[in-house]
Amino acid sequence: MKIPATLSRKILLAVLGIALLAAFLWVATHSGPLAPIKVTVTKVTKAEINPALFGIGTVEARLDYLIGPTVAGRVRRVLVDVGDSVKTGQLLAEMDPVDLDERVSSTVAAASRARSLVATAEAQVQEVKSRRELAVIEARRYVQLEKQEFVSKSELDTKLQEQKATEAQLAAAEASLSAARKDQSRLEADREGLKQQRAYVRLIAPTDGVITARDAEPGSTVIAGQSVLKLIEPSSLWINVRFDQARSTGLRTGLSAEIELRSLGRTRLAGKVVRMELLSDSVTEERMAHVAFDQLPEGVAIGEMADVKVGLPAIHDVLVIPNASLKLHGTQEGVWLRDDGHLRFAPVKTGSESPDGRIEVLEGLHGGEEVVVYSEQEIKEGSHIEVVASLGGKAK
Amino acid sequence: MDPSIGIQIEGLSKRYGKGLAAVDALKEVNMSVAPGEVVGLIGPSGSGKTTLLKCLGAVVEPTRGRMTLGGEVIYDNGWKISDLRVLRRDRIGFIFQAPYLIPFLDATDNVALLPMLAGKSNAESRTRALELLQALDLTHRAHAETSELSGGEQQRVSIARALANRPPVILADEPTAPLDSERALGVMRILNQMANQYQTAIIVVTHDEKIIPTFKRIYQIRDGRTHEEAGEGREIV
Amino acid sequence: MISLSGRDFLHSWSKFAFTGIGLGLLIGVTLSMAGIYRGMVDDAKVLLNNSGADLWVVQKDTLGPYAESSSIHDDVYRSVLGMPGVAMAANVTYLTMQVRKGNTDVRSMVVGFEPGQPGEPRYLMAGRRFTHSHYEAVADVKTGFNVGDHIRIRRHEYTVVGLTRRMVSSGGDPMVFIPLKDAQEAQFLKDNDAIVNERVRTAGNPAINRPGVPGLLDAINASQAGNHNVNAVLVKVAEGHFPETVAQDILAWRHLQAYTRAQMEEILVAKLIAISAKQIGMFLVILSFVTAAIVAFIIYTMTLGKIREIAVLKLIGTPNRTIAGMILQQALGLGLISFMVGKTVATFLVPIYPRYVLLEPGDAIRGFVAVMVICAIASSLAIHAALKVDPATAIGG
Repeated sequence: MKIPATLSRKILLAVLGIALLAAFLWVATHSGPLAPIKVTVTKVTKAEINPALFGIGTVEARLDYLIGPTVAGRVRRVLVDVGDSVKTGQLLAEMDPVDLDERVSSTVAAASRARSLVATAEAQVQEVKSRRELAVIEARRYVQLEKQEFVSKSELDTKLQEQKATEAQLAAAEASLSAARKDQSRLEADREGLKQQRAYVRLIAPTDGVITARDAEPGSTVIAGQSVLKLIEPSSLWINVRFDQARSTGLRTGLSAEIELRSLGRTRLAGKVVRMELLSDSVTEERMAHVAFDQLPEGVAIGEMADVKVGLPAIHDVLVIPNASLKLHGTQEGVWLRDDGHLRFAPVKTGSESPDGRIEVLEGLHGGEEVVVYSEQEIKEGSHIEVVASLGGKAK
Repeated sequence: MDPSIGIQIEGLSKRYGKGLAAVDALKEVNMSVAPGEVVGLIGPSGSGKTTLLKCLGAVVEPTRGRMTLGGEVIYDNGWKISDLRVLRRDRIGFIFQAPYLIPFLDATDNVALLPMLAGKSNAESRTRALELLQALDLTHRAHAETSELSGGEQQRVSIARALANRPPVILADEPTAPLDSERALGVMRILNQMANQYQTAIIVVTHDEKIIPTFKRIYQIRDGRTHEEAGEGREIV
Repeated sequence: MISLSGRDFLHSWSKFAFTGIGLGLLIGVTLSMAGIYRGMVDDAKVLLNNSGADLWVVQKDTLGPYAESSSIHDDVYRSVLGMPGVAMAANVTYLTMQVRKGNTDVRSMVVGFEPGQPGEPRYLMAGRRFTHSHYEAVADVKTGFNVGDHIRIRRHEYTVVGLTRRMVSSGGDPMVFIPLKDAQEAQFLKDNDAIVNERVRTAGNPAINRPGVPGLLDAINASQAGNHNVNAVLVKVAEGHFPETVAQDILAWRHLQAYTRAQMEEILVAKLIAISAKQIGMFLVILSFVTAAIVAFIIYTMTLGKIREIAVLKLIGTPNRTIAGMILQQALGLGLISFMVGKTVATFLVPIYPRYVLLEPGDAIRGFVAVMVICAIASSLAIHAALKVDPATAIGG
């Protein structure tokens, strides 16, 4: 029997109508505010944590020298250029001595003149000495003669007075000699001093190293203390690293470090923390430390940026959760636990963290609980949740 | 209401318009049709036959006169029935120039619609519809959609519809106009058959030469006046 | 009595279906527009919620940090932290800029925050939180980044270590979270060419570049290169204290402004979104009128196509109320189909649209009622035409 057209049409339309209604209802319950929040969960287990500290730093030279004159002057010649290796004592540059040479000659002449004046004073002393000798003998003789009444008292007095005079003259001559000698020392010291100054006109390398800057060209005038050349010891390159104060627990000298230099791409170099700075940066809230390379790589530039990772000793067998599961509830940090299908917030206290995001739980969990890790939205007490395997964020 | 009385019209007049522009479409028309009778109403276009049909069909109010249907006065210089729609539904059947079936109903429901409008249950209405369709040899097409029915089948369905509420009078307006002589005579045969079977008075407005000889009685209408005549009354084979 | 409208529907269901789909698309667009407005308001709410703050401390006389730019010193937070009622206070920076991955740029809001403090993304969809103090990033999925991607912000390259969702600025730009210090550098430090240019200018200034003071030039350059500003301090108020009271205390310092959550919401919604809201409101009104007009037209045309049947029905005795009911039922049925199509279309449009679209159930119900009312009113034109039909026209020709 042929099904009446009307009936078959009714069936078809009823089916379509139900399909549309079903789509409509599905839409209503799976999207918008009525839909449950998708989350992922994981169990709290015991595992190992390999904490590390991260800082960024710049490559510096431990020792760097500023080569320049001690007095203002004009640069006469510069013998080296940036990148040159130099040895201790090597002449690097020379200042224009100006009138220094003349002044040295003048002091040399003055010193030798002083020497001559000393000789003259010495001769004078000798001469006065001999006269004194004579005067002493004469005086003694006249004393005898006076006793024998061969000479008068006044003649004796005269001779005594002559003796005294020569004594005084001798003292004077000796004083002159002393003065002349002191003059000579002074002038000789002047001479030596100027010679030293003349020596400082020559800028010498204080140590083996490499020239990093050439700051003044021949002919330029520089003042005392201004840099003409900068020199570093390349073997003394190290990294000045800054660590966030809050994330620098456990930092101490001797820890090994992994260094990534910007210029060398992502290759990792080995190093060690060699010094912790006592002074922190209170403005940026960072601590500073110096990390040295185990083996200095080729072609490293000063001022280059480096990413430094300092490994701390591993912590074994502790309760671990992914740091993505930590949430703030009010002002408390903790995790959301799935307990029999109910959501419960458990405050936790955390400890060390691995670079891959796993973090140690010190207080608040026992192990085996199910914590909510990822969620599409913020969850609260009484949120309607649906556990899924992943939320679609793909990792490479 | 006495179904044996049929329909009587006395002195029916219809004037359109007022004053000098007025047109008297009907002038003192007298007419009477007995139950079971099939009379012809013949006249040229513009003679007023359509107006008469509209007055008989209670869709146009006459100006003057008297109409009695089944013994009950329905118009006497004013409608005597409060709800003309109910009158049309229950006591007048209509057959139009074209079948005018409801396109979204099938044959059965087109016929059953009338009893349903009269308040009968769907089941009873459909039963009666199927009876009528059977009488018209359309049982095998009872559930066909209107668009699936041929012209002649649609015409027959419309006849069944007109009979559905067993009205005392059926008004047929040029029912055979588009048909050839064989089919036209077929329609007349059915109408005579139904009139006899259900004792319905049928008035057929027509100017179709092919069927005029079949009427036993004819009303000629011209310029709004009717004039009764005897018809040939030829048997339909 | 059979249902005439039902039978008509069954008979020409394809016509109804196509009309319903067409109208449904229009309604879907209308619902989407309402959803876009709600999405914008939700963006603002979510922005405020996700910051985890009760108070926003910004530069005095600004509406910052979202509606207006604000700049304060980065050590202000310490004093705020010391005030009564303040449980947490942390610096944040916000800057909308292009973030590069490979050859593509993504417009994002770069947020600088301190881990464990307000300003940090409150939940993750994938990956992990920061373990390094520099050059790591957490990005919203709308950026299109994945965990492990290397992205470039200003002068440095960052590794995306985590993904989050629904972290957007009030303008709809996805957020990228980086450590505060890196963000400060990104915000205030210029590109290489500009820095070199600046150094040359400074060196050319004889007041600064004095030979008698070696090291002065370097010191000045260093100070120009440093940045110690942030855009706001986010405050979490302690239990038992009211944000309004704490805000008043902070306002008493005449050089800072503090906004509570309610005030920030007003700033964002009333000021930032106001114009868009007006635009969308206007569109909604226009679309409603258009929908009404189209429904009226469609129903009217359908009715006109049935004029002959209506005349016949009236002649054979169908009451006016049945005919009016048929038309009204058709209009309402059309409305129902269109609404369902529209709601479904709107839902599928949601992920395609560049901004967040929020389709609230309340809006859907309101929309449904509106569509039904519009259809009913729009059908009145057709009903009027149907009632005016003279049954006599079925007779004669």
